[in-house]
Amino acid sequence: MIIIAKRKLWYSLSITVLLPLVIFLFIFGLRLGIDFTGGAILEIKGNFSNEQINDIAKAQGVQNVGITPAENNRILIRYSISDQSGTQIRAIEDALRAQGAEILRTDQIGPSVSRDLAKNAVLSVAVMSLAVVSYVSYAFRKTSRVIRPYQFGLATVIAAFLHDALFVIGVFSVLGKVMNVEVDSFIITAILTVIGFSIHDTIVVFDRIREKLNVEVSNFSETVEDSLQETLVRSLNTSFVIILVLLALLLFGGESTRYFIFALLLGMVAGTYSSIFIASPLLVSWNLHKKKKVEKFKPSVSRLTKSSNKKKSKKK
Amino acid sequence: MMKRKTKQRIGLFIVILLTVFFGIVSYPNENAILKYLNINEKLSVRRGLDLQGGAYLVYEADFSNIEIENDSSKQEVLENAATVIERRINPGGVGETIVRTAENGRIIVELPGVRTAQLTFWEVDRSSGEESGLGLTPTDLSGRDVARANVEFSHAGGARPVITLRLKSGESTQKFSDLTARLASEGGLLAVFLDQQPVFGPANAQHIPNGIAQLTGDFDTKEANEIATLLNAGALPVPINLVAQQSIGPSLGELSVKQSVIAAFIGIFSIILFMIFYYKKAGIVSVFSLVFYSFATVSIIKFSAYTDYVIVLSLAGIAGFILSIAVAVDTNILIFERLKEELKSGQTPAGAFESGFDRAWTSIRDANITTIISCIILYTFGTPAIKGFAVMLGLGVVLNVTTAWTVTKVGMRYLTRNKRLSRGNWIGQGVEK
Repeated sequence: MIIIAKRKLWYSLSITVLLPLVIFLFIFGLRLGIDFTGGAILEIKGNFSNEQINDIAKAQGVQNVGITPAENNRILIRYSISDQSGTQIRAIEDALRAQGAEILRTDQIGPSVSRDLAKNAVLSVAVMSLAVVSYVSYAFRKTSRVIRPYQFGLATVIAAFLHDALFVIGVFSVLGKVMNVEVDSFIITAILTVIGFSIHDTIVVFDRIREKLNVEVSNFSETVEDSLQETLVRSLNTSFVIILVLLALLLFGGESTRYFIFALLLGMVAGTYSSIFIASPLLVSWNLHKKKKVEKFKPSVSRLTKSSNKKKSKKK
Repeated sequence: MMKRKTKQRIGLFIVILLTVFFGIVSYPNENAILKYLNINEKLSVRRGLDLQGGAYLVYEADFSNIEIENDSSKQEVLENAATVIERRINPGGVGETIVRTAENGRIIVELPGVRTAQLTFWEVDRSSGEESGLGLTPTDLSGRDVARANVEFSHAGGARPVITLRLKSGESTQKFSDLTARLASEGGLLAVFLDQQPVFGPANAQHIPNGIAQLTGDFDTKEANEIATLLNAGALPVPINLVAQQSIGPSLGELSVKQSVIAAFIGIFSIILFMIFYYKKAGIVSVFSLVFYSFATVSIIKFSAYTDYVIVLSLAGIAGFILSIAVAVDTNILIFERLKEELKSGQTPAGAFESGFDRAWTSIRDANITTIISCIILYTFGTPAIKGFAVMLGLGVVLNVTTAWTVTKVGMRYLTRNKRLSRGNWIGQGVEK
């Protein structure tokens, strides 16, 4: 497979997938879970019609905002509740129990806690991106003049944050609209983990590029292509193993972590793609762009380097 | 030559010994084995609330009506409130109830197994007799109606301790007055329960119109103090409000454990098949190091119970653990692919191992550091469940690098130095004819 030469194809493939998702995200936004909005969720087991559930909520003066039936007779009910003392939710629990429901799980989050959780989610993503750029720039500080250390950092961040994370968020925006799937702090965790893994994957390729740059600097795009080809089997095998494990968790694991695992799986696929087809090709694109700039504005410099190359070849 | 071989054998021996040790510790029924070996230590994995069922409550202190000079005294008041809550919900100090203070004036309560602790008042029907048990009827009074309870010494009874229970004025006092009036006329009894635990009574009731009741009974000062503590909600040094709660029924937790274990086994089994299929004999070495790695992780979780940093296993933690196995496989794949490259350039298996292992190291190091960075960030900003995930994944990454450096290295060295074993397609590199 030729990767670098066809980089524009890979870029456009990503954009084709990402653009509709981003547009969808802008129009419909995300369906945020009670972690970030406050409110309550009850998970019950039993046979209930929507009217029954609505009546019970109404009797307590509470508005329910969503009823999502799940497998095995389970029902997820989301309430928008202002009373925090737990009196109302406990009364609802009792009413449901009186009609034969088993209460599997209760979750109630007040506005002060949800505000903090939302703040922490935003903060963690911001700190994460900063930490990654700094670490990658530091780890690749000794690369040659061909490519700057911060460019390695920037490429990983673009691949992991703008590509993989955006892909997962976009898909969850669609899921939220179509299947009422909510984005809670677990999904944020999945996204941060995906970012970590995607960078993990990218760094292995970059590491190889760095190693090659230390020995020979003939043609940068060839160097990157070779590095990609040499690490390709490892990238694919590792992703395959991780995807195997995630599939096992998705199919056989508990339902409470289902969307968390699904988010990880989506991110893993996007991350594997981005570390091969986006991050490293970006380095080449920047490198060529810089060269073009140099040739455009300083023709004398490029002529000089060309002539010096000729001299060298003559000597040989 | 002999010397190197003995060194190799010692390395292999130590690794096998450690595997057996971690294997015994991580065996589900390890305490039976330990007993057989005459070791009287109990080991166990602490399960989080999502796995064993329980309640997680977040309270926020309301400092608006309290004069506080500085943050440290604020913290002191909060700590006192936490102590009172702890005594109230866990009078015997048993079980694994956790009450701790958190930032922003919050108190976090974790109650495993039980649902929220509720103080309730019950009417006991005396006429039902001993045979059919006591007939209990709930009343509309609960812990929320109690203002304060404290121990006093009644002069009449010869310095016997009595508990003075003060109800909140208004509606609560009225409800209590109505109830006691009815009980007194019918000859009914009154009992107070905390969850299913009787706290006080059943005892005869007199009509109490003013909301101040004297609870008397056959108890000494210590017992009286305990009862008073249980009844006390109003003794909190600062008013607190419930701001978040989560409770998980035991059946859901049990199901989650079962499903996670099945998923983990299927996941690990498919990894093993893939590694042996793709990397042949080297794959077997990686399977061995994976087994070692899994045993070591479970052992560390069990041993952590003896330190101040107990690792509580949650659903997200299990996911983190399984994910960390995948990361551990990656380390092996990195090493093997590098080895294959060295073989292609014409090296002998032993030579390829020595140069390939060191060259794979920089990528292993750099790649794993980023995962650790994300774990630290998740731990810092995350909710308890997310913290559990971050701890398991982070622990996994550290252990996995250590395992690669020891078990995989020793195993691969043994494999590559052994001419009989490292013949043919031993690492799945394909054999040129």
